Amino acid sequence: MLDQTVSSYRSPTFLRLALGYVYLHFGLLKFFPDLSPAELIATQTVMAFSMNILDATTSQFYLAILECAIGLGLVFNLFPRLVFGMFIFHMFGTFLPMFLLPEFTFKIAPFAPNLEGQYIFKNIVFVAAGWTVLMPEIFSERRKEKAIAKVTLEQAPESQERVEYEKVLA
Amino acid sequence: MKKYLPKAILTLAVIGLLAGITVTYEKYRGTDLSRVPQLAGRRLQAAIVDDTKRESVTLVAVASSDVASDTGKRHGYREVSASPPYVEEGLTLYPTIEKGMRTPFDLWRYYGRGVSSFGSPVLPMRFDQWLDFHRKQKPQLMENVRAYMESRFDFSETPLPNATMSGGKPIMKGPVVRPPKGIESFEELASMSVEEIREQDIFPYKPLAHPLQSTAHMVFPREWVRVHPEHERIDVDMDIPESYLPEFPPPLYLTTHKELGDVTNGREVTLDNFFEIFDGLLTPEQMEGLKELLRPTPTTWFNHTDHRITEKPSRGVACFDCHVNGHTNGAFELGPDSRPNMARLRVDTPTMRGNYNLMQLSSKRSVRSMDHFAEIEEYFDGDPGMQQSIGPRAAKREVTNRMGDFNSIIDYPPAPKLDPLMRLIPKLATEQELHGEKLFHGKAQCAKCHYGPAFVDDYMHDLKLERFFVCRPEGPIKTFPLRGIKDTPPYLHDGRCPTLHDVVEFFNLVLELHLSKEEKEDLVAYMLCL
Repeated sequence: MLDQTVSSYRSPTFLRLALGYVYLHFGLLKFFPDLSPAELIATQTVMAFSMNILDATTSQFYLAILECAIGLGLVFNLFPRLVFGMFIFHMFGTFLPMFLLPEFTFKIAPFAPNLEGQYIFKNIVFVAAGWTVLMPEIFSERRKEKAIAKVTLEQAPESQERVEYEKVLA
Repeated sequence: MKKYLPKAILTLAVIGLLAGITVTYEKYRGTDLSRVPQLAGRRLQAAIVDDTKRESVTLVAVASSDVASDTGKRHGYREVSASPPYVEEGLTLYPTIEKGMRTPFDLWRYYGRGVSSFGSPVLPMRFDQWLDFHRKQKPQLMENVRAYMESRFDFSETPLPNATMSGGKPIMKGPVVRPPKGIESFEELASMSVEEIREQDIFPYKPLAHPLQSTAHMVFPREWVRVHPEHERIDVDMDIPESYLPEFPPPLYLTTHKELGDVTNGREVTLDNFFEIFDGLLTPEQMEGLKELLRPTPTTWFNHTDHRITEKPSRGVACFDCHVNGHTNGAFELGPDSRPNMARLRVDTPTMRGNYNLMQLSSKRSVRSMDHFAEIEEYFDGDPGMQQSIGPRAAKREVTNRMGDFNSIIDYPPAPKLDPLMRLIPKLATEQELHGEKLFHGKAQCAKCHYGPAFVDDYMHDLKLERFFVCRPEGPIKTFPLRGIKDTPPYLHDGRCPTLHDVVEFFNLVLELHLSKEEKEDLVAYMLCL
């Protein structure tokens, strides 16, 4: 039980690095117009989302910055709260083409996506992975300790560290 | 030490990734039209530095084999600038865009190469989705097109008093291009230097792009579409008001039957009525040529397949659908002379009147005969990548020759004020028109290129508009004949000058003529006589 509690507050390192790598690599590609396979859909979505205030080149540039920032944040485990915010915003954006450009993402909306649609839809796994990686980092150490203390006290009320744990909970 | 090891490894991995992607990129596209101009620029600059260092090395070294290994850097005998000139100018690469998607209206700011020279007859989505996509996109697009045109032109639809086209349609007064912000009048603009205009980015006659350049193709005037609903497009409509377009249907004059005047008597020549109108007037060859000019053929986007921009399958487009009655209805397309599609210039339909006098046809391709012209225009975008699906070029040489036979008897409209040597007859002309003629041959420099029986020199000229604003240069474009010019608005290849007044203002700026307001009016009055 204690092990379970502690591990649920620990960010899985490999998942974090894998997620970070994918963000960083595909983000870097977007700095080079013409290299990213997602260029068309991504830029068109950002353009539509910005009410055509941004042109294609600028949209792609900002998107590349956003993705690289998230990637670097994940790889180096920096600013988890900020990264989490950007991650959620980005994930929200990746699902937008399903609504803004259904012709380019579905064979038959809404259940039969085409390749791009499937590529977007599988981002739901990304959301789960990001949540798993970032939530433990966002929980403060204090809350982690509290949870551990609570479980420990429930399991072994007479343990020697009881006083300490009670202090933590107080 | 151990503590920092993972972070060090990660940092190295990130640097490696960056370097890897850069190298991949360079291999993928290491050309001057690289989509990462800065990187390409730096690479070439380094090469130049290397070269100057090597100058101290003796000639033996230049001839030796180790130079051969550096040839990649030397670029032959060409002077290679640090970065390609179009990058220094501030141009940006064409955005990646799929068929049907919106394109920037200011395409002059862009450059780049396409994925391929060859098109594909495959849509990026299923046809029912294609219809949905355009039903959704078109209203917003057309609203933006209207706002854009409104920002550039003041289409107040004021007619010029007592001035009509050959068939009676009123001619509009101009200039309708809006003077740049902060500039009171065109005279004030013309008094500025070329450099000042460029620096302040206030040149008002920038190119017009096709409103949907990713699909492009023919856009017909509303007036035409009302009569020919089969040409109603699902994706885009005409962007210039009808009053600034040629009359419909226009008169048709024949060199062989001047006595008849307009042989159509106000009708549009169609497959249904051409025999009745022309039987007994034409030779059998001309008759067959005319029939071919009226017969629709499939084009890139008007055809029977799903690769189309009409709701129902289309029989295609005939020559006379744009060149109605051998003239023009003002439909526009992209010039078929370049790739990628976004680099193609918008072109208005030129009239076929007086083609018999032209030694060179088409705006950019220097086509030298009407037979050849008929042959290559049959399949408008001329894309062999599409032919298996949409239909091959079917017209045989004998047939295109006959199309040329009819083409060569379409005459200019009458110009009663001109004598046989194309000078105004003083008795018939007004003071203003005579003064206009004097300017035309003198101060305004028009006659430098517009002379002879059709007022055309049959050369291509480069007006070098890149002097006035940052743009991808359009290069040389064929001089247009001025005979019957009042019948063919809008002017210039892309219609950026909707009235004759605009043309005068345009050339006043481009050739730095410093004409007065009265002189400009006189020139317009003269051109109405041609």
